[in-house]
Amino acid sequence: MARSLAGFLVLLLVVSICEGASLFQPISDSHRSAALELFTPDHGSFKSLEETYEALRTFQILGIEKKPDVTAAACHSISETVGSSSSSPKDLFYALKANSIAECKIHEKASKDIISSLNAAVRGASSLLDFYYSVGGLVLIKGQSSEADIHLADADGVFRSVKAFSQSDGRWRYSSNNPESSAFAAGIALETLSGIVSLASSELDQSLINTLMNDISKLFDSIEKYDDGTLYFNDKLVDGHEYQGPLSTASSVLRGLTAFAAVTTGNLNLPEDKILGLAKFFLGIGVPGDAKDFFYQIDALACLESNRVSIPLILSLPSTVLSLTKKDSLKVRVTTVFGSNAPPLTVKLVGGSSSGSKDASLVESQELKFDQGSGLHTLNDLPKSIDVGSYTFVFEVVLQEPEDGKVYVTESQTKVPIFITGLIKIENSEIVILDSDLGSIESQKKLDLAGKNAASLSANHLQKLRLSFQLSTPRGRAFKPHQAFLKLRHESKVEHIFVVGNSGKQFEIVLNFLGLVEKFFYLTGKYDMELTVGDAAMENSLLVAIGHIELDLPEAPEKAPRPPPQPVDPYSRYGPKAEITHIFRAPEKRPPQELSLAFLGLTILPLLGFLIGLLRLGVNMKNFPTKPVPATFAVLFHVGIGAVLLLYVFFWLKLDLFQTLKVLGFLGVFLVFVGHGTLSHLAAASAKLKSA
Amino acid sequence: MRSLSFFFVFLLSLFPILCFSFNPESPTDRRVLVLLDDFSLKSSHSIFFNSLKSRGLNLDFKLSDDPSLSLQRYGQYLYDALIIFSPSTEKFGGSLDLAAVIDFVDSGHDLILAADSTASDLIKNIATECGVDFDEDSSAMVIDHKSYAISGTEGEHTLIVSDDFIQSDAILGETKIEAPVLFKGIAHSVNAANSLVLKVLSASPSAYSANPESKLLSPPLLTGSAISLVSVVQARNNARIMITGSLDLFSNRLLRTAVQKSGSQDKYDKSGNELFVTEISKWVFHERGHLKAVNLRHLRVGETDEPAMYRIKDDLKFSVEIYEWSGKSWEPYVADDVQVQFYMMSPYVLKTLSTNGKGLYHASFKVPDVYGVFQFKVDYHRLGYASLSLSKQIPVRPFRHNEYERFITTAFPYYGASFTMMAGFFIFSILFLYNK
Repeated sequence: MARSLAGFLVLLLVVSICEGASLFQPISDSHRSAALELFTPDHGSFKSLEETYEALRTFQILGIEKKPDVTAAACHSISETVGSSSSSPKDLFYALKANSIAECKIHEKASKDIISSLNAAVRGASSLLDFYYSVGGLVLIKGQSSEADIHLADADGVFRSVKAFSQSDGRWRYSSNNPESSAFAAGIALETLSGIVSLASSELDQSLINTLMNDISKLFDSIEKYDDGTLYFNDKLVDGHEYQGPLSTASSVLRGLTAFAAVTTGNLNLPEDKILGLAKFFLGIGVPGDAKDFFYQIDALACLESNRVSIPLILSLPSTVLSLTKKDSLKVRVTTVFGSNAPPLTVKLVGGSSSGSKDASLVESQELKFDQGSGLHTLNDLPKSIDVGSYTFVFEVVLQEPEDGKVYVTESQTKVPIFITGLIKIENSEIVILDSDLGSIESQKKLDLAGKNAASLSANHLQKLRLSFQLSTPRGRAFKPHQAFLKLRHESKVEHIFVVGNSGKQFEIVLNFLGLVEKFFYLTGKYDMELTVGDAAMENSLLVAIGHIELDLPEAPEKAPRPPPQPVDPYSRYGPKAEITHIFRAPEKRPPQELSLAFLGLTILPLLGFLIGLLRLGVNMKNFPTKPVPATFAVLFHVGIGAVLLLYVFFWLKLDLFQTLKVLGFLGVFLVFVGHGTLSHLAAASAKLKSA
Repeated sequence: MRSLSFFFVFLLSLFPILCFSFNPESPTDRRVLVLLDDFSLKSSHSIFFNSLKSRGLNLDFKLSDDPSLSLQRYGQYLYDALIIFSPSTEKFGGSLDLAAVIDFVDSGHDLILAADSTASDLIKNIATECGVDFDEDSSAMVIDHKSYAISGTEGEHTLIVSDDFIQSDAILGETKIEAPVLFKGIAHSVNAANSLVLKVLSASPSAYSANPESKLLSPPLLTGSAISLVSVVQARNNARIMITGSLDLFSNRLLRTAVQKSGSQDKYDKSGNELFVTEISKWVFHERGHLKAVNLRHLRVGETDEPAMYRIKDDLKFSVEIYEWSGKSWEPYVADDVQVQFYMMSPYVLKTLSTNGKGLYHASFKVPDVYGVFQFKVDYHRLGYASLSLSKQIPVRPFRHNEYERFITTAFPYYGASFTMMAGFFIFSILFLYNK
C-alpha cells in the first residue's frame, strides 16, 4: 500500500493537469448534484447514524434545499439510541452529532442519563478514541440540552491523560500500548482536547495549551507536498485497519484544528501557505465518487471556510481559453473555497510569458477592473503584445483592508496557464507541379483552403509537387501550427504523411517524386491529397481535401518493398457467405423410347424366322416316346426346361439372385434326373434302331 | 477431530467458489478482479464500478502490486474477468505477470485494460499480445484540433470527442449513443494482420498522436481514423477483451461532464461516456451477444427419427435452435444470416436457414450425389456476437444394387433378344430331340 501514495499523486496530477496546471475551482453546483446522488437514503433512512450525520452535515454545508426528507427516520433512530442504556459512547456520539443537525427533541430524563453515562465513560476511558467519543458526546449534549451545568469534574486531569498520547513529532497514538503514531489521531486528539477545554469549569493551565500549540506547529512541519503545490497529511503505512487515506487524515487534522482554534484565545500562528496548500489539496480532488470521501472533503473545506484563524481565498478563472478574435476579456474571480464573495480586494496582472519560453514578461503590470454585480475582476483588452498561443499569466491579489489580512489568506502570486485563440489568416495557397531539371512550372492551381477544392493534377516520377500557403495571426505575425500535414492516399488505401515546414509566414513542401518512388512502393495511380492544419490556438483548424494527383511511377523492381497490409473492413468480414447448391450429375442421355421399342420388335424377328424355317423344313414329333413312362419323363424334362426359363423371366421381373439360385438348384437336380431318363431312353431307342 | 473440523472449514471456504464458478448455462461473469494503482480510483471511478456492482458482479479491488495477487489456485481460476486500471504498473505483485494474464485470457476469461499517458511497458505488452499496439512515443497523446470538447479550461485539445462508433448492436446495445464520447489519453492502432480486433471507437480524420508540448519534426506514427480510441477483441474461445488508451474514459468526471463538440451547436448535459462504458462492459462480461446453439437435428423428409446414415439424393430437413443470453435468461435469437454447410473437405451445400422467430432455424435440401463422410456444420460469426461453431458427422452411402432403376426402356432390345433366344432354345430342344 506504500505505492498507494504514489498512485494518489499520479491521480491528483492527472486531475490537476485536467484542471489546468495550478488552477483550482471552488465548490460548484456539480458538487451539489453529486451530493444528492451519493447520499441517497435507502427506504427513507441511512444505514447508520454516522452516515446520517455525514449526509445531513453535507447537505447543510452545501446549502442543499431539495434534500431527501430523512428527519423523521433519523429522529426515530436517534431517540432509540439515546434512550437505550446499552448504547456505547460511540453510538451516543454519532446520535448526538446527527441530532445537532436534525434537532429532534430529547427527553429530559434521557439526557440526564446520557450525561452521567458519558461522565462515567470519561473516567473509565483508556484509549484516545474512548476519550474522543465520550468527551465529544458531552460537548454535543451541552449544546442541545437545557441543562446548563455540564462540566468535567477534573478537566485538568483528563486533559493530561489525553495529552499523554502525544508524540514528540506532533502526531498521536491511539492508545498507550500502540506504538504507532498517526496524524489522523492527532486530529482526533485536538478535537477531544478542545472539547475538554470548553467543558472545563475553570480556566485550564495555560502552559498545557501552549505545549499543545507547540505540538500543532510540529505537526504542520510534517506536512507533505505534491508537485503542484498542494499540501496534505498522510500517515505512514500501518498494516492494521486503522490506516486512513490522505483525504481523511488531512480532514481530521483540519477538524481538530478548527475546534481547537474556536476554544483558545491565543494565536495559533499557522503559516498561511500551508492553509492554502491544504485548501488546494481538497479542491484538487474534484468530486469524489465515494460518500465518505465526499463528506471528508466538504467537511474539511467547511472548516477552512469557517475557521477563525485564516480563511483561504482561491483565485479562479471562469475560462482560461480566450478568443482574440471574439475579443474575450480576461475574467478572474476571487472567492472562498465555497465560492462566496471575498472581502474588497484588487487583482493585478503582474506578468505573462509564453509558456515554454523563459523570456521576460510580455505584459506590464496592470490592475483588473472589479465589477460589483458579477463579482468578477476583468481586463477588457488583452495587451497588444499578447498574440495567439499558450501563456502563463501571473496574478497578484492584494486585500484592500489590512484588517482582512488577519482573517483571510491569499497566495502572493498565482500562475495560471492561459490559451489565447484566434482565427488564423490563410493566404496565397497554391499547388504546383514542377519539372525536375529546370524547375519550370508544368501546371499550377490556386487553392482556397477555407472552401472546397478539386485540383486534378498528374505527374510522373521525374517531376515535383509543391504546395505552399501562408499563415498569419490576427495580430499579423507569423504563425506556426502544431499540426501541418499533407496526406497522400493511394487507391489501395496506403497513406503517406508529410509535415509541411515553414520559414516565417510561408509554408512550403516540395515532394520530389524521384526520391519517393521507393517510399510510395512504386504504386502508380490516383492519390487523394488532404491538408490538415491545426493548432490549439487556431480557431479555424482545417482538414481539407485538395483534390487528387495521378502519379505515373516506374515498374517495381523485384526486390522492392511491398506495401503493408491494410486492415480489412470489419463489416465485410462478417456477412453471410454466398449460398452453394450442389450440382447433381446429369442422368445419361437415352435414345427415345420409340427407338428402343422398334429395336425390341426387331429382336423378335429372328425367332419368327426360326419358326417359319422350322415349318418350311416340316419338322415333326414322331420320335416322341409312345410308352407312358418315357413319355412322362420327356414331358417332365421339357416342363423342367420351361420352368428354368420361366424362372429367368421371374428373375428379371422380381426375384433376386439368391431366391433364383435356390429354385434353380431344385430344378437342376430334377432336370438331371428326368433328363437322364429321357435321353437314355432316346439313346437306347436309337441304338436299337441302328442294330436293327 | 481437529483435522476434521479443519476440513469442514476448508470445504466451507470453498463453497462460494463452487457456487460462483463459471457455468456455461449462465455465461455472465460473476467474479471480477479489479487491479488499481491506488484505491482513490475506487472513488474517482465510482459510477462505473457501481454500475457493475448493481448488475450483480462481484468486484474484488486489489492494488496492482499487492503481493498476494493470484488469478488461480490449485489449477482453478478464482475470477471470471480482470479489469486492469493500473496503467503505470511496471510489475504486478504476487504471481501475476504478463504470461499469467495472457493465460487467463487464453482460458476464456475476459479482460478490460485501460492505459493512459503514464502507461508502462507491461501494460503496453499486454495490449500488444492482444493485437493492439499503443503509440511507442510515451509522451504522445491523442490531439484533435477539429473535434475537441469545447471547455473553458481545456486549451490543448487533448480532451477530444468522438462519435465514430462501430455499427453493432451486440457490442454497444440497442440504445443509440446520442452524445459523443469524451476521450483523453493515448492512441493505439489495431494490428492489420489480426482479424479478431475491432475498433469500437475511432478518432476523427483530423486526429493525430503527438506530444502537445513539443514541435513536430517528423510525421506522427498514428494519424486520422487509423487511431483507435477503444478496441475490443473477441478471441476464438469467445474470451472478450476491451482495450483503451484512456483511463479517464471511465472516470466520474468525464461521465458527468457536459459536452459540446467544436464546430457544432449541439450541447449535451452529459457525455456519452456513461452509456458507452456501461454498454461495452455488458458486452465484455458476456451479458450480451453470447449465443448458444442446441438441438441440432436432421431428418429424412417424411420421417420422425434421426437416421444414422443418408443415401445420396435423399431429401433431408435440418434444424438447430439458437439462443442469446440476455444477462438473466436465454432469449430466442433472431437473425436472417445463419447458414448451414453440408461439408466434406469443402462445403457441398451452403444454405441460409430460415427462422420461425422463436429461435428455431431450419432448412431442407437434397443430399449431394457424392458419397463419403459428411458433416453438418454451422459456423456462425457475426460482428460482436460469440461465434458458434458446431458440427455433426453423418455418412452418406451410394445406392444399393436394388435401388437403381429397373425395366429401362432403352434396355428392352437386349431383354427381347434374350427372351426370344430362350423361347427359340425351348422349341429347338423339343424339336431336336423328337424330330424324325
